[in-house]
This record gives sequence, structure tokens and C-alpha cells, in this order.
Amino acid sequence: MTSPGSNPRVPPAPGSNVPGSIPRVLPHVPSIEVEAVSFAYPEGTRALTDVSLRIEPGETLAIVGQNGSGKSTLVRHLNGLLRPTGGRVLLDGADVRPVHVAHLAARVGLAFQNPDRQLFAGHVSAEIEFGPRNLGIRGAELAERVALALAAVGLESVATANPYDLGYSRRKLLALASVLAMRTPVLILDEPTTGQDARGVARVQDVVARAAAEGRTVIAISHDMRFVAECFRRVVVMRAGRVALDGPPSAVFAEAAWPELRASYLEPPLPAVAGARLGLGATPTGGAVVAALAAGPRNR
Amino acid sequence: MSMTRLPDYVVRRPSGFYRSTNPGTKLVVAALEVLAAFLLPGWIGPAVVLAAVLATAAVARRLRGLATFGLAASPIVGSILLVNLFLLPGASDPIARLGPLAPTWSGLWFGLQTVARLLAFSSAIALVYLTTTVDDLLADLSRRGLGRRAIFVVGAAVQMVPLTIERAGEILDAQRARGMDTEGRIWRRARGVLPLAGPVVFGALTEVEERTMALEARAFSAPGRKTLLRVPRNGRIDRFLLWAALLALVALVGIRVAGRLG
Amino acid sequence: MAIELSAVRYRYAGASVFALRSIDLRLEPGRVVGVVGANEAGKSTVCLVAAGLAPGVVGGLLEGSVRIDGVETATLRPHELAQRCGLLFQNAATQLSNTTATVFEEVGFGPCNLGLPVAEVGDRAWWALGTVGIEKLAPRDPARLSGGEGQLVALAAVLALRPKYLVLDEPTSELDPAGTSLVAEALGRVARETGAGILLVEHKTDVLARIADEVVVLERGAVALAGAAAPTLADPRLAELGVEPPAAVKLERMVREAGIEWSAALAEAIR
Repeated sequence: MTSPGSNPRVPPAPGSNVPGSIPRVLPHVPSIEVEAVSFAYPEGTRALTDVSLRIEPGETLAIVGQNGSGKSTLVRHLNGLLRPTGGRVLLDGADVRPVHVAHLAARVGLAFQNPDRQLFAGHVSAEIEFGPRNLGIRGAELAERVALALAAVGLESVATANPYDLGYSRRKLLALASVLAMRTPVLILDEPTTGQDARGVARVQDVVARAAAEGRTVIAISHDMRFVAECFRRVVVMRAGRVALDGPPSAVFAEAAWPELRASYLEPPLPAVAGARLGLGATPTGGAVVAALAAGPRNR
Repeated sequence: MSMTRLPDYVVRRPSGFYRSTNPGTKLVVAALEVLAAFLLPGWIGPAVVLAAVLATAAVARRLRGLATFGLAASPIVGSILLVNLFLLPGASDPIARLGPLAPTWSGLWFGLQTVARLLAFSSAIALVYLTTTVDDLLADLSRRGLGRRAIFVVGAAVQMVPLTIERAGEILDAQRARGMDTEGRIWRRARGVLPLAGPVVFGALTEVEERTMALEARAFSAPGRKTLLRVPRNGRIDRFLLWAALLALVALVGIRVAGRLG
Repeated sequence: MAIELSAVRYRYAGASVFALRSIDLRLEPGRVVGVVGANEAGKSTVCLVAAGLAPGVVGGLLEGSVRIDGVETATLRPHELAQRCGLLFQNAATQLSNTTATVFEEVGFGPCNLGLPVAEVGDRAWWALGTVGIEKLAPRDPARLSGGEGQLVALAAVLALRPKYLVLDEPTSELDPAGTSLVAEALGRVARETGAGILLVEHKTDVLARIADEVVVLERGAVALAGAAAPTLADPRLAELGVEPPAAVKLERMVREAGIEWSAALAEAIR
């Protein structure tokens, strides 16, 4: 599933998520600035209030929070699906407001939570082709992208199947592959691990790790604190449309932040709790607990 | 814990003029009005019906809602007027000459009459909607013996509309996020029909099986009569109005058919 | 007194392979049995078969025996099954009837279908709402509930039929952590207070670690592991079977594998 053949005819696309290989052309990864963004839905529901974030190129960022806290609304601003009612969203310093979503989609990919809101094609490969085709990709480049995206989520064996004959978890991986094939320098995943078994979660973790290794920006919305703590370098906690916490997992899951987490209806992952009980300091992951214990003498 | 009384919000009946009238009665009255708007000749039908509907709506304090319906109908109203004004076949009494266009008096009158019929017909139906909740209507139909499957289909269809609109919005977003052009030229947008219609249809189909099973798991197909928690008012006035409307309806149709035949 | 599946094989209509190849399973009143397994191992199918909807409602071919309190499910009609075994799916939205104005009436929908007297419907609705702990939601519009609330209402709606058994297919998979906790607590309470037997398919093994008495692990349509919850969830073969072990099990394993001496203090901290 590695080593893409050279393909001189087609100009390199922005970004490349070739699994297991060095991308041929490093994508230009934009910085993202969310400046004091507020958003109210037309019927008046206020979903975001004064949200400010700066996301550097290549960051891995997890957004957590209760349902309805504004996570999905926030990421829909990053690819222009929603336009802020107050504040601005900038890609590389340029306001995205005048840019068509179809153009932003080439730079910011977004995989939705529910695959059944997007799958339509008669077979799996055609479904994956849809995004790259919209970006003008054709021919050998297209075929290669489809093959690599299928490999990245482990669906090679069902390339010709009808998406609706796949189970929910595989439909969800297919929706992920269909966005991966667009090779966007920014990748946003909305609840990528829900409904996945251990192998599916490992697939998703692998996708995140590879995209990050290629220098792309990866943003994920998730309820899975273990996934968040292990795969992301930065965590943003949303509560009632505002940013409640923002920092590395070691800070956001540290004991000092627990009251704020619980006010946001979240629980820290077990390693963080265990580390605090053992007086090990901030240990957001199992690995961190083991490292702190191994560094022993335990001063408890 | 025994609280045999049903909560107020279930047993409470709607109050206020016409709003408290039995839903089935309102449905028959509306049917009468719709027929009258079309079957009574000339201006009489639409004028009588519009007057009746507006008066009822005014006393029931639903004029504002009715006005919204009127506004929503305005594009259709406008186009009917324009088409008839300029293009009524056989009309030869021009109001004025505007280059190649010749609006006619008979076109204007015919257009106005058509619009009046349309407004009378739609406002009669709108008034039922504005003065009745779907649940009360379903409960009344159920009380009157409509089968539970029919009730379920009607109720679910009504409630599915907002759900489907919401789902379609999300599907549109998902495909735009994959680079589908919905802001560019028309011909590019037309290509987006399948990616949008596909998930709406497939999504609904995959849900049907789950819905069916969930219903069966709640004894939906149990034999016998279903218990009704919500029992709409059906007093003497409601029944009188119902029978009066039914008689008028039969009379109207009878006169019309006889008129045709004779 | 139990739901018993013995030597069950099941194939969906039109399918060439058996979704269930060999299932033996027993669910007794008052017990919570967790079912885990990789995707497409047959978990949802087990739910449909145990609740009697497959093949009764969805068709297909069933071999072996599925009995509820000694009665073969094949001989029972759907509304009779519904009073013995309640069934709950992952998506709250598809389980609500879409025909009721309030949560109270939604919960009363099942008893109304049975044609019970109004007073009895009222009693059952209040009882079910109280058992799940959502009396407060009673006046609300079912179409305007959050995912967690919707799932609790769906649970109460099934409970109102007073089934002795409940079969739940990933009831928390669409929920946030707070919603998951609410549903898990409600299920624990239902098992304790109503004596119902609960068969719970759940990816989140942490939920099972909290409320399950037994755990069954499926692999390609057959039972691969089964036993008391704690040892089964700590079984080293779990990961090979595509199941994420509970957080505490994973952490203990990491610590031990790193060669760190296990101690009472560690056990106390990682629970």
C-alpha cells in the first residue's frame, strides 16, 4: 500500500496523504485563525460566542465538549459551510468569507459524523472519486488516490461493493476515505471513532498519525478522551459555544482543570485520574503513567 | 407510585373560539369551503368562502397566521394575474397597448377570479392548520375509527417533513465539503442532484427497517382498539356544525350535478 | 425463567452466509449480560434473534432454538414478544413514533397499542418515566430532545410494556460522555429495581465494566469467550477479537508489561 508511482502528467495536488510514504510534494499547509467568531442560527439559537483560536500549520487539535456545545458549528466555519455572524476566519491571513466552499474544500477537508448523510454512489470506488473529481483530478492520478485512500482505511477488498451493503462502521471508514482522497492540507474529522471496534479505532488513529507525520493540520471532534489524549497535541474544550479550556492534553486533563472539565460534562481519561491519585503529576496517557512510574523513586 | 390521572398537558383541550372546535368538524367545514369556492359560479363562491374564513380567523385571532399564508402564496398569485392579464385566449378588450403586449379587461377579471378561488381554497385549509394541532386531529380521526396504520402514516408523514428538510441540509453541507459546486453556474449545480437525492432516499430506506422493528417492539400490531389518551371535544355545537356542513356539502354537490345534467 | 439461545444459526433473507454460526446464550431476569465483538461479528443479529424479531419480522432462516421463558419465539406474535422482551437500538430518532405531542404520550404509546385502560396507561407511563428517572421530560416534545434524552425516552417507552427482558443494541454509541453515563445509570437502576434481564451490546467496555454481570464475546457469528464480566473483560484475547478492553485493564496491563512492580497502591489508583 506504499510507494506511489510517479505521475508526471498530472500537476501535484495540494497535500498528499500517501499512506506509509513521504509525500512527493509537501502541501502548503495554511495557518487558521478564528478571530472572535460568533454565530447564531437564523432562528436565533446562539451556537458560538466570541471564539478565538490560532491553529498553526501541522498542529493536531482535538475539540471536545458536550453535544450542542458548538463543536460541529465551529469546524463548519473552517471550510466556509457556515459564515460567522460576528468575527472572522482567516486561512493564511486571508478572510475566507468571499471564497466559495467548493474552493475551500480543496484546502480544508471535512468528514462528517454520519456517513449516511453523504454516501450516494453505486460502488465504493465511485464514492471516493467524487471529492477528487470535484477538484479536477482525473485519470491515473484519480485511480491512484482512490487506491491509496482505500488502503488507508483497509477497504481494498470491497472496492466494488455497494456502500449500502457495508455495515455502519465500514460506511463510516468509507466516508473518511472519500475525504482523504481529496488530499487536503487541513483534515477535519467529526467523531471519527464512534461505532468503530478496536481495529477501526486503530485505523483512524493511524490515519491521524500519518497525516500529522506529513505535516498536515488535523482537527478532530471526539467524545473519546483516550483517543484525544493519545493522538492530539492540543485539546480545546467547548462549553455552551465558548472555549472553556485550550492546551496540551497534559494541561487540559491535569487535576487543576478537572473542575472546568466536569462543568463541561466531561471526565478526564483514567490515566490522568490514576496519575493524580499516585501523585505522578500530569499523565494524560497510559504511556505517561508508565514513564512517570519508571522514572520512580515514587515520592508519594 | 400510582398517579392514575393523566397530566394536564395531555388531557387539556384547546380553548378559544374555533380553536376548541372538534378537529374532524373543522376538516369537514374546510372541505365544504373548498368545494364551495370551486363549485359556486362567478364571484359568489370565492367571496362567500373568503368572507367566512376571514371572519372566523379574525374572531379566533389567527388573522396574522393567515396573512403569512397569503404572503407565501403571493408569487403564484402574481404569476396567475400576469398570465391571464396578457395571455387570456380569445380576450379582445384591451386596456391599453404596451408595444407587443396587450393587457385585457377580461384577462384581468378572469385572473382576479382565479386568484380569489385559489386564496379561498388555500385559506380554508390553512385555517384548519392554524387552529388545530396535528395530535388533536389524529386523536379525533382515531376516535372516529380510522385505523392505527392510517393514523400512523398520516402523523409520521407530517412529522417527517421537518426531519427531511434538516437531513437534506446536512447532506448538502457534506457534499459541498467534498467540493461540490453549489455556488457556481447552473449547469454545474445540476450535476449535484444525485449526490443530494441519493442519501435522502437511501437514508430514509435504511431507516424504514429500523423504524418498523422499533414499532413492532412497542406492540404496534396488537389486535383490537388502541387506547386514546387525548380525547378532543365533541359537544352539541360541534356535532351540529358537522352535520350542517355535511348536509350543505351534499346539497352543493347535488345541485351542481343536477345543474349539469339538466 | 430465561431467554435461551441454543445452537442458534441464522441467515438473513437473500444472504448466502450465516450471520450467526453457533450461538449459545442465556439471559436470566435481574442479570446484565454484555455482548462485545468486532464489527460485523453478529452482535446486532443476536439482538434481533434474542428479541424474536428475526426471523419473525425481518425474515431469514433460523436454526436451533430461541426460547423466552420456555416458549419458542417463533410461536409468538410481535405484540406478544414486545411484552416479554423490549428492544432498543442505537439511534433514538428512529425509535420514537413521530406521532405524539409529549414524552408522556410517547411512553404511553406501547400500552395504548395494547388497548389497556387509560388509568393503567397513565400508571405505566409514570412508572416507566420514574424508573428511568426522567419524569421531568414528560411534558416535552419528543421531536426536540437531545440524543441522550431521546435514548432515555426510548428506554422508558419500551419499559412501559413491562417486559421481563431488555435487549439493547449499542444504546450509547451516538451519545456524548454525559449521555452515556445517564443511560448506563438508568440501565443499572432498571436491572436492580425491575428485576429485568438485560442483554447489552456495547463497544464501550467501560460501561460494561460498570454494570454487566457477565460478558459474551462474539467472533464471526459464534461465541468466542464468555463468563463473569471482570475476568472476561480482562482476558488477554479480547484485543485479538477486535474489542477494546476497559481503560483500567489496559492501564494495568501497560504498567505490568513495563516491568513495574504491581502494588496495592497501584490497584487502588487504577480502578
